[in-house]
Amino acid sequence: MAKINDGIRILQGLLVFGNVIIGMCGIALTAECIFFVSDPHGLYPLLEATENDDIYAAAWIGIFVGFALFALSILGIVGVIKSNRTLLMVYIILMLITYAFEMASCITAATHQDFLTPNLFLKQMLERYNKSDTDNNNDKWMTEGVTKTWNKLMLQNQCCGVRGPSDWQEYTSAFRVTHNDADFPWPRNCCVMDAQGSPVNLDGCKLGVPGYYNSNGCYDAISGPMNTHAWGVAWFGFAILCWTFCVLLGTMFYWSRIDD
Amino acid sequence: MYRHWVVFVFCCFGELCADQNLKPQLAASQLATNNPTLTTIALEKPFCVFDNSLSPNESYIIYLYAMKGSAVAISSLVTDNSSKPLDSTFHQTRGGELGPYKAALFNVPNCASPPKLADVGNVNKAADVLKQYLFRVGDDGTCLYDPNFLGVCNPPLAPDTTYRFKYVLVESTGGIMKDQTLWSDPIKTRRVKLPLKIDTWPGRRSGSMIVITSIQSVLVFLLLAGLLAAVSSAVMRSEDASAETKHVSQSIQQSEPRPQLGSE
Repeated sequence: MAKINDGIRILQGLLVFGNVIIGMCGIALTAECIFFVSDPHGLYPLLEATENDDIYAAAWIGIFVGFALFALSILGIVGVIKSNRTLLMVYIILMLITYAFEMASCITAATHQDFLTPNLFLKQMLERYNKSDTDNNNDKWMTEGVTKTWNKLMLQNQCCGVRGPSDWQEYTSAFRVTHNDADFPWPRNCCVMDAQGSPVNLDGCKLGVPGYYNSNGCYDAISGPMNTHAWGVAWFGFAILCWTFCVLLGTMFYWSRIDD
Repeated sequence: MYRHWVVFVFCCFGELCADQNLKPQLAASQLATNNPTLTTIALEKPFCVFDNSLSPNESYIIYLYAMKGSAVAISSLVTDNSSKPLDSTFHQTRGGELGPYKAALFNVPNCASPPKLADVGNVNKAADVLKQYLFRVGDDGTCLYDPNFLGVCNPPLAPDTTYRFKYVLVESTGGIMKDQTLWSDPIKTRRVKLPLKIDTWPGRRSGSMIVITSIQSVLVFLLLAGLLAAVSSAVMRSEDASAETKHVSQSIQQSEPRPQLGSE
């Protein structure tokens, strides 16, 4: 009898420890997802315009799942210590629902990260940057978002286009409709600017003289934060789920062994 | 005509015949990396090209003529019968389709002290270096539609078209052509692609997505199986327990009447 009691005690201790870890990870997941949703790099308008913003949906789910994990871990600790079958069954059912949501969040983030390719942003930039005739309010909103984001990106990161300024020369674009090639081979923000915000040498910029225009592409500045976002949500969530799986199995076993 | 033949003979012997053998060149590609663009072409100015023909007491101007490559079949003359250079405009020649048009005129570049290309890195000198070294054909987007414009109009060129250029040395007094370069090699402006044609298909699924989805699906299945096992084992244990208590209470009832018989 004493041996069985010891075994149950050890299982209790392990389950409490497991739930503590789940609680802390839940808070960490909430904090991480709030950070990503707050969009510190201002890249959300680009995703919104591609209609491919599901990594943000995954982060939103992550916020609520993290908080639910924290609350349920407290319920689990109470249930294990009190050895209350009802509490533990409620805990198991709610944890399974939370598990399903977190699984959805991970898979969404991992899947939609695959869609973020240079060609996607290139096509969107060419079709939307400085587009003058917008069809409806939604189109206008997205166009303004894309234009402002690209202007900010090009100024802050000293870059031009997705792969380079040659993107503007190789393809026709909405920008090209209103700005002729002789005066604007590429947008003004691709030029090296002085302190007042005007190009240092406009002719040098138009001719492509090295040092007077930004010759590298902006794709690294876009994909870096987005990849961090998607990987952070997908893989941290995956790690939490693996740990939660073990704790849940232990809890189910514990539940089936205690008497009411 | 005869003069041309004489110079040609000299050229064949490899002697210095700068003006007849040289053609207008594209500006150095290390300097002007975006050249030619969709509608502009930047050419090197003719340095030390006409020096043999310059006489010290005269002042000269250089004219730049441009025409489409297809216009060679129609006309490639830049002078009229009296050796005066033509005054054709972009509009008259339909953008160089019907023959050469005058795109620019500028002073003879200084052969003795040409601009140093390395100076373009210096912000203060860059504008001067560029202005002295090259000329951008197609730079002016507004002169064609401006009725008040009086100078030589240099409108943007057509995309995806070959153009040829020629420099002509003209005396300022009298306006007679003194010398000319050959027609340049055909230079083609860029062609653009439609953004519709850009393929945004991401290709095959990445490894991380496959790993996450497959492992998570298996784990969820195991969890549900575990839940089922736990619930069913609990139900079976409670059935066993209730069967046991029934058995125990029946045996207690059977054993109870005997002590009563014993006592009486």
